[in-house]
Amino acid sequence: MDRRNFLKGTAAAGLVGASVGLTGGLAGPALAQGAAARTLRFVPQANLANFDPIWGTQYVVRNAAAMVWDTLYGFDETLTPKRQMVEAEQVSADGLTWEFRLRPGLKFHDGTPVLAKDVVASLTRWSARDPMGQMLKALQNELVAVDDRNFRWVLKKPYPKLLMALGKNSTPMGFIMPERLAKTDPFQQVSEFIGSGPMRFKRDEWNPGARAVFEKFADYVPRDEPSSWLAGGKRMGVDRIEWIIMPDPATASVALQNGEIDWWENPITDLVPQLRRNRNIRVDIADPLGNVGTFRMNHTTTPFNDLKARRAVLTALSQEDYMRALVGDDNNLWKPLPGYFTPGTPLYSEEGGEILKGPRNLDAAKRLLAESGYNGSPVTCIVAQDQPITKAQGDVTADLLKRIGFNVDFVATDWGTTGQRRAMKNPVGQGGWSMFHSWHAGADCINPAVYNAIRGNGAGAWFGWPDVPAVETEVANWFDAPDLATEKAVIGRLNKAALDNVVYAPTGFFLSYQAWRSNVSGIVKGPLPFFWGVSKS
Amino acid sequence: MFAYVVRRVLATIPVMAIVALFVFSLLYIAPGDPAAVIAGDQATPQDVERIRASLGLDRPFLVRFGEWVWNILRGDMGVSIFTNLPVTTMIQQRIEPTLSLMILTLCLAVSIAVPMGVVAAWKQGSWIDRAVMGFAVLGFSVPVFVVGYVLAYIFALELDWLPVQGYTKFEEGFFPWLENLILPAIALGGVYIALIARITRATMLEVLQQDYIRTARAKGAGQTSILFLHALKNAAVPIVTVIGIGIALLIGGAVVTESVFAIPGLGRLTVDAILRRDYPVIQGVVLLFSFVYVLVNLLIDLLYTLFDPRIRY
Repeated sequence: MDRRNFLKGTAAAGLVGASVGLTGGLAGPALAQGAAARTLRFVPQANLANFDPIWGTQYVVRNAAAMVWDTLYGFDETLTPKRQMVEAEQVSADGLTWEFRLRPGLKFHDGTPVLAKDVVASLTRWSARDPMGQMLKALQNELVAVDDRNFRWVLKKPYPKLLMALGKNSTPMGFIMPERLAKTDPFQQVSEFIGSGPMRFKRDEWNPGARAVFEKFADYVPRDEPSSWLAGGKRMGVDRIEWIIMPDPATASVALQNGEIDWWENPITDLVPQLRRNRNIRVDIADPLGNVGTFRMNHTTTPFNDLKARRAVLTALSQEDYMRALVGDDNNLWKPLPGYFTPGTPLYSEEGGEILKGPRNLDAAKRLLAESGYNGSPVTCIVAQDQPITKAQGDVTADLLKRIGFNVDFVATDWGTTGQRRAMKNPVGQGGWSMFHSWHAGADCINPAVYNAIRGNGAGAWFGWPDVPAVETEVANWFDAPDLATEKAVIGRLNKAALDNVVYAPTGFFLSYQAWRSNVSGIVKGPLPFFWGVSKS
Repeated sequence: MFAYVVRRVLATIPVMAIVALFVFSLLYIAPGDPAAVIAGDQATPQDVERIRASLGLDRPFLVRFGEWVWNILRGDMGVSIFTNLPVTTMIQQRIEPTLSLMILTLCLAVSIAVPMGVVAAWKQGSWIDRAVMGFAVLGFSVPVFVVGYVLAYIFALELDWLPVQGYTKFEEGFFPWLENLILPAIALGGVYIALIARITRATMLEVLQQDYIRTARAKGAGQTSILFLHALKNAAVPIVTVIGIGIALLIGGAVVTESVFAIPGLGRLTVDAILRRDYPVIQGVVLLFSFVYVLVNLLIDLLYTLFDPRIRY
């Protein structure tokens, strides 16, 4: 039996009887009414398997960490970095010296004050792992604590994107930890979870794979402004948040309908119609920044080391095919993406995107492939089957490549193996690979600083190692761009260069839903679930 | 008998050693890389390499194996690559739900399946027999997750009698514990009930043909006495054997059941660890399961002597 169809069938049956609702028998476990209203039960997208947001850069870790650790700056809903732990900053006229002052009254969860030396240690650890941090580190003359509340960052060259680096929501974020923890090797996990944010992590109740618990930190001092994504006053409307890990979406769906959980971060599309028809449940887009589907080719091995072979793929690739495979018939959940940057964000560009627009041209693709000199050698497609997004894309790709004329060697594997194999630079047939699928959160595709996959710096680039100097030139230009108009012009050229050289093939832009009980209020759309401002009645 | 038990317990040592070597070797040669999982999708190859080195995964096989065995001998199963928690702690967190589920399933299955098999044999060829066999075929054929979803739909969503997910510790009360486990136990028990019922029926049919059963009838013994005292006791050895073998089925089924009902047990821990390549956890859990299985087999062997006094060790 097809499990997915069975789920849909069960869901459909559920609609018929949803209103029957007999009650009686053994009562379900219940908290006292007041306590229940102060406890939010949340089903996250994945298991919180570790809790060091610098060491482990998975989104689920970042999402939990954003409750527990505060940042110096935070993106608001316009993607503008706003002051968070910082009270004021000052930059010298030459743009080389930045001076920051922390807000008064900031405390860590162990009761100690947040000091400038904690910030310096935290930023030092963060900068070893974050791409923007690494750039800053390369430009850094000194990063020092001036006194308890003030610290100074002196650079060798102006870095206009500094506040963006400190406030961005892509992983790893610049979370502020106590100095003794922040001095941990960035490639080792911290041993304690002493936070600086509005919620305290209950390590004693942490059961990885099952549950993580967060309690309101009474001494947290929120900003006065209203909250907006990672910026503004992070006021908690509940005292306790329980993350309940549910690997099975059907179970999460029933649990939400039963009131056993309050908020489900990522309901699968198949179950959304059933949830929508339940008057006790609200459904909405989770993250307006969505995701970008990725068809990544290996630029260092045949056949995709030849530009014509890469362009053959782009010429025939139908983004609608990919998106339908991912989100089904729901047109609210996808858009064509003739470019690389997140739609709806300031730097979105379609320059050079003609190759992805209009009717797909299989004949032209075949001609390009023939011109590339492709000799029928196997094209090894690494497709992780345990990730629905990569599996769906992989199935479409196998068909597409065969129709173009590639000799497809379809390697069905899991994500763990994909992660290992894509790092191998061996030729195909000796452990190497030709392509794999992934996806990037839209929040990571808003500019080149947080977007590894767009880079064309050869051996230093993301897996597939494209070597495209034209892209790198524009990346450098963007970092130096003084204003938004210049940035947009640069990104247009970058987008075109990346498409002309097929840094990778974007398979489309897609969104996902979130669902919650109607007695929960304050949930907003965003690149991560924001728990401040959320309350239960 | 005592000497036999000691011998069997000692025999578990080489078995566990072979299992340990096998598991470690298998994981070593299996593809996949926890460092890549930790680093995340956006990480550079250099980041992945550094994490691998920091985890010690770049060291030679013999060094890693030797270190692991040495730690195991000292009772240290290592630390999870991902959670940074000791494997023993993670197993302790998860063992109660799985044990509870398996024990409840076992009790439920035996108390239902054995009478079913006995009655089916007694009423051979009747509608009861056919119904029991029909149920057995169904129990074998329908996957655990399907049974789980149907049960959740009826008893949690429609009737709102039982929770659909989670686990309540036994120390918090028998009924809360039972509420969370009854649906998973029924779902998991389906295959097991089918297996035991079929074996019970087949064995009972054979026993019921024996001369001593005719003799019991001739001397006026009642039907219940014949079935449950004379026949069932003599049919017990194969039934107990199947129950023991079925423990492996339960362990496998627990993985799916725990996922469907979001029970934080060892099955889910194992699957999560495998998907992430959390080697110390995989090794620890597999060793534990192997040890449990060896012990169950020993227990079954000892039970033989209770049911058949002719068996002596």
